[in-house]
Amino acid sequence: MSSIKTIAQSDILFVCHECDALQRVPAVEPGHDAICIRCKSRLFRNPKGGIDKPLALVIAVMIMFIVANIHPIMDLTIVGVKLSTTITGAAYVFWQSGSPELAAIVWLPSVLVPGLIIAGLCYVLFSIRFQLNWPYTKPILVLIDRLLPWGMMDVFLLGILVSMVKLADLADIIIGLGFYTFVIAVVLYAATIASLEPHTLWESLQDQSGKQNEFENG
Amino acid sequence: MASIIVSAKERGIAGCHTCGQAVKMQNYAQIECPRCGAEVHYRKYDSINRAWAFLIAAFIMYIPANTEPMMHTTSLGNTSADTILEGVIYFLSHGDWPLALVIFSASVMLPLLKMIAIAYVLISVQRGSVSRKTEKTNLYKLAEILGKWSMLDIFVVGLMAGLVQLGALTTIAPGPACIAFAAVVILTMFAEMAFDPKLIWDQVDK
Repeated sequence: MSSIKTIAQSDILFVCHECDALQRVPAVEPGHDAICIRCKSRLFRNPKGGIDKPLALVIAVMIMFIVANIHPIMDLTIVGVKLSTTITGAAYVFWQSGSPELAAIVWLPSVLVPGLIIAGLCYVLFSIRFQLNWPYTKPILVLIDRLLPWGMMDVFLLGILVSMVKLADLADIIIGLGFYTFVIAVVLYAATIASLEPHTLWESLQDQSGKQNEFENG
Repeated sequence: MASIIVSAKERGIAGCHTCGQAVKMQNYAQIECPRCGAEVHYRKYDSINRAWAFLIAAFIMYIPANTEPMMHTTSLGNTSADTILEGVIYFLSHGDWPLALVIFSASVMLPLLKMIAIAYVLISVQRGSVSRKTEKTNLYKLAEILGKWSMLDIFVVGLMAGLVQLGALTTIAPGPACIAFAAVVILTMFAEMAFDPKLIWDQVDK
């Protein structure tokens, strides 16, 4: 039997993130949302599948993300010259050719930030799901919250598609393994974020540290 | 049966921006969240001034972003420079109107609409407007969600420059508009993060 408490089990005092309305929120069924009484914004959700679903998804994302980043996204043939690069490889060429700041603007939101979010979520979800009490879960979750708006894999995917159409005039294109796995990573990443409720994670973390304190006192 | 809704601030309570915990402020303006350790305050610090500063900077950068070339293409000795609008026209002239529409909306319309939306909400808060609070909140949230899609053209140029430069006869180099464009996207994101939507709801009928 799992001792992981979910938010649905108790009435809690809640402050709306958007309009500051103070309200007592009753239990929410799995798969339903709690909506602010004043501005109708979503206060929190109670996603179906608890913590298992985002954990399973984020592991899948991690695998796809790694494969997508070590394989070329496309092979180009321009007047007999064959080119093949990964996302990081393309950013590196960009860096060397004298636009390091633009290379960073391309590479950070498409590779580093999503990579940190995925790795961080794996760590935190593992720790919560198997009650491992791993260190630094709270600062990592705060960091993930700060990084989320800067992860732009979905926009980058559209960017790859547009550049393929543009390059089709100049070169012969063969789509690589990196591209297919990147598409899967983007879809699964969106599903992971949709299946996560930060509030539930924080409740679980609070429970864990509460238990830890009891052990320390006893 | 109209129930009276109170702001958390009136009861000395603030919601943590990071973990959502309702925190008793005990006469402090700012304390550390007991659950997640992040800073908790009633309203974001100097929200309106900071939002305006970022927004005005973004407006200024929007001009070179559209007038300067985004990309230099050198093919067999011929160099051509394209601004964003020229890129859109290129796709239109090739009959590729869905792509032209995507690039036009993401690169030209979206940043402009986002800046106008934030400016509208800021002005209405400064004027003490009490009307259409829910709509303004939704407008702000929409700007928050859609803003990042303006990065599209920068990613396209970055990818093409990176992919094509490896010793080919054709080279693609980024133009000065790229950095201006990135600045527009990043500055509007800062403006939207600096603004506190709770200020919309702090305005009350006199």
